[in-house]
Amino acid sequence: MSTTDTAATSEATRVTGRDSAGPTKRSGRIIPRLGLDRFSGLYVLAALIIAYGIWLPDTFLTSQTARSVADGQAIAAIVALALVVPLAAGVFDLSVAATLGFSVCLVAWLQGHHVNAILSVLTAVAAGIVIGAVNSLVIIVLRVNSFIGTLGMGSLLAAGSYWITDGQTLIKGFSPDLLKAGRAQPAGIPVTVWYLVGIALVLWFVLEYTPVGRYFYAVGANPQASRLAGLRVDRLVARSLILAGFLSALGGAILAAKLGLGSPDVGPPYLLPAFSAAFLGATQIKSGRVNVLGTLVAVYLLGVGVKGLQLAGAPSYVGDLFNGAALIIAVALAARTSRK
Amino acid sequence: MSNSSSPALRVVNLAKTFGGARALKAISLEIAPGEIHGLVGENGSGKSTFVKILSGYHSPEPGGVIEVGGNELSFGKPADSHAAGLRFVHQDLGLIDDLNCAENLALGRGFDTAFGRRIRWRSEHEAARRALAALGYEIDVRRPIGRLSVSERTAIAVARAVSDHGGRTHVIVLDEPTVNLPKAEIQRLFRLLRLIRDRGVALIFISHHLEEIFELADRVTVLRDGEVVVSRSVTELNHDSLIELMLGRALRAVRSDARAAAGAPVLTASGVCGQVVQDVDLTVHAGEVVGVAGITGSGRDELARLIAGSAPFAGRVAIDGEPLRSNRPDLFIRAGVVGVPAERTVNAALPDHSVRENLTISHLAPYSSFGLLRRSAERTDVRTLLEKFDIRPARPEQPIDSLSGGNQQKVMIARAMRLGPKVLVLDEPMQGVDVGAQAELHRLVRASVENGLGVLACSSSSEELSEIADRVLIMRSGRVVDELTAPLAADDISAATLAKQKETT
Repeated sequence: MSTTDTAATSEATRVTGRDSAGPTKRSGRIIPRLGLDRFSGLYVLAALIIAYGIWLPDTFLTSQTARSVADGQAIAAIVALALVVPLAAGVFDLSVAATLGFSVCLVAWLQGHHVNAILSVLTAVAAGIVIGAVNSLVIIVLRVNSFIGTLGMGSLLAAGSYWITDGQTLIKGFSPDLLKAGRAQPAGIPVTVWYLVGIALVLWFVLEYTPVGRYFYAVGANPQASRLAGLRVDRLVARSLILAGFLSALGGAILAAKLGLGSPDVGPPYLLPAFSAAFLGATQIKSGRVNVLGTLVAVYLLGVGVKGLQLAGAPSYVGDLFNGAALIIAVALAARTSRK
Repeated sequence: MSNSSSPALRVVNLAKTFGGARALKAISLEIAPGEIHGLVGENGSGKSTFVKILSGYHSPEPGGVIEVGGNELSFGKPADSHAAGLRFVHQDLGLIDDLNCAENLALGRGFDTAFGRRIRWRSEHEAARRALAALGYEIDVRRPIGRLSVSERTAIAVARAVSDHGGRTHVIVLDEPTVNLPKAEIQRLFRLLRLIRDRGVALIFISHHLEEIFELADRVTVLRDGEVVVSRSVTELNHDSLIELMLGRALRAVRSDARAAAGAPVLTASGVCGQVVQDVDLTVHAGEVVGVAGITGSGRDELARLIAGSAPFAGRVAIDGEPLRSNRPDLFIRAGVVGVPAERTVNAALPDHSVRENLTISHLAPYSSFGLLRRSAERTDVRTLLEKFDIRPARPEQPIDSLSGGNQQKVMIARAMRLGPKVLVLDEPMQGVDVGAQAELHRLVRASVENGLGVLACSSSSEELSEIADRVLIMRSGRVVDELTAPLAADDISAATLAKQKETT
């Protein structure tokens, strides 16, 4: 597949507004560097914890709350990290949450059919890799815009999840080993957090300290220049999508083990928070690029913000509200940083 | 409004600092109505900062004054600058390719509309045709701009700048308008600019080609390190004295005429065809620079892409006898054929990346052990390259976008040279590079050529080819039709590229 090496374009870059040139006045001095500092997320996180701590000393400042936020956000963080990879390479993957959901259903179905735990997980992860490969084919060979291609894939996977589960919630036959692997608390910390730490460490290492990570970012910044500099752009884009599929499906297997059930409704709500976290994360730590550490900061910033409000009695839709606003603000901030 | 005796543009004490670096040091300048004023200076001399302040993109430091036609300009808003009568024709012209001429002319001022906001197309087209006819151009105003020639597009950009919508036009700033124009078309543009001057509009004309300044400008201002070195009539200067003023020193002779004879053939192309290029044979020997000249549309630029492996071709391109697959820059690079493409921002630079990342992206293997990148080794290497290629500022972590055009181009050439190529394919290598840096880059390329590097240099600048090339292939209509050998004179090269047109007219 050599003739279409330029198929992939940096659509993702465009959405963050980093391409927006033009005679824009430098507004930095009117609104002081609010939110543009690359560690601002950490400051806000600390401020939130202190504020909620004073406001809700009895409910917020408890180890149970800490555990619940850490646990509750771990899966969202894994999905966001899965998304970071294709975004770095300049393509969207709107199918990450659907892949997660499909993987949850697949594990549940396999468990219901007495397949052993390890084989169930491996099958789900393999499915994720296949999904990433199909996404790559659609985007690179068929030259479908990644936004559209993965949007379609997301819908196909939603249909697949319904088909597997017949629209039901599958709870039968979960092996105790699998449930233990999803619910244990080594050292008092939920095991999902340990999985997240492991995945984040590896991914951080790959993106920051290996040639392929550097190549991903180069392709995301300018695919044409990358190709002329000798990079295999199509192959790199495909790798990023396959990695995203793999990580999403792995997240799905972990989630299935944690929940002990499979249902077509589980996956889709993870999509928007993943985008919010990835784009908000792009303003953090390594400002201007989606990155692993920034994404983790963003995930937990959003998680703590929502959790505190919920404990204070806010209605359940506050999560959607928070994430939606964060996505828009993050992209606006990224556009501002880029013009400086 | 304005009184007729006031200068078209008066600038007093304009200064600008970017993060500690003084880009402009209190410059003052006056330009009369009906004057063509050349503005020259090396990259980084403050030219673009000056233009960006005029256009309202940057605000100057307090104390600076800009008067347009006698009225003081408030800073920092492009709309104010436009309302005051300042117009800009940027290098990329700022036109939208998919829209036609009439639509492009209407951009920024709005359409003539009838009842129900219906656009009066007929009157728009008529107005556009008249505006262009007044400038001596007959252009089908309904064709999308993308299908017009560069010179026609330039004319449209100029026509848009001249139109008096939103206030009288006092000053038009032309930022390297001749960069993409063939020689014959440059003359046509000059006639157009003189016509506009005679209407009493002041023109600021920026160009790296000094002979254009002498031909067109009435007066010239030289900027160096953010200061006005001199501002005087061109008749008081000549080519060499102008270069000395720009550089602050005399220009060294770049090439020694005694050259080592070329070595063995390294790259051979036979029967190469692309979209325009037809059946081209060529050989690049070790230790020689083969120039390729040709007017726009001759296939000169496509040939560079084909030989660099970045576009599909039929025929055979071989290095050391081994044929290479077309349209695979990665395989070409691995085989030792490295291209430096034209249009750096589109084809070469990685935006939002550091100079270090831009320099090393083609080949990270030397810094990677067991899959891990060792940044310290990379940084050491990068520092050496920054010094060797005299890239300023010499800071590896500086974002590439913050460097001047000339320094960015040095980064791109350093990226290619770092790979130790057998053959270097340069496409418009000196695009937007100033005279001083050009000489420096030529010297660096020359040094490697003496060590056995083969170079294929495609350029629209005959001056450049005459400086660096050992022989020059002349392209017309996709074919190599002639070959000139040393001693090369720029005029001969230009004449050869145009020979056919001359015969027929």
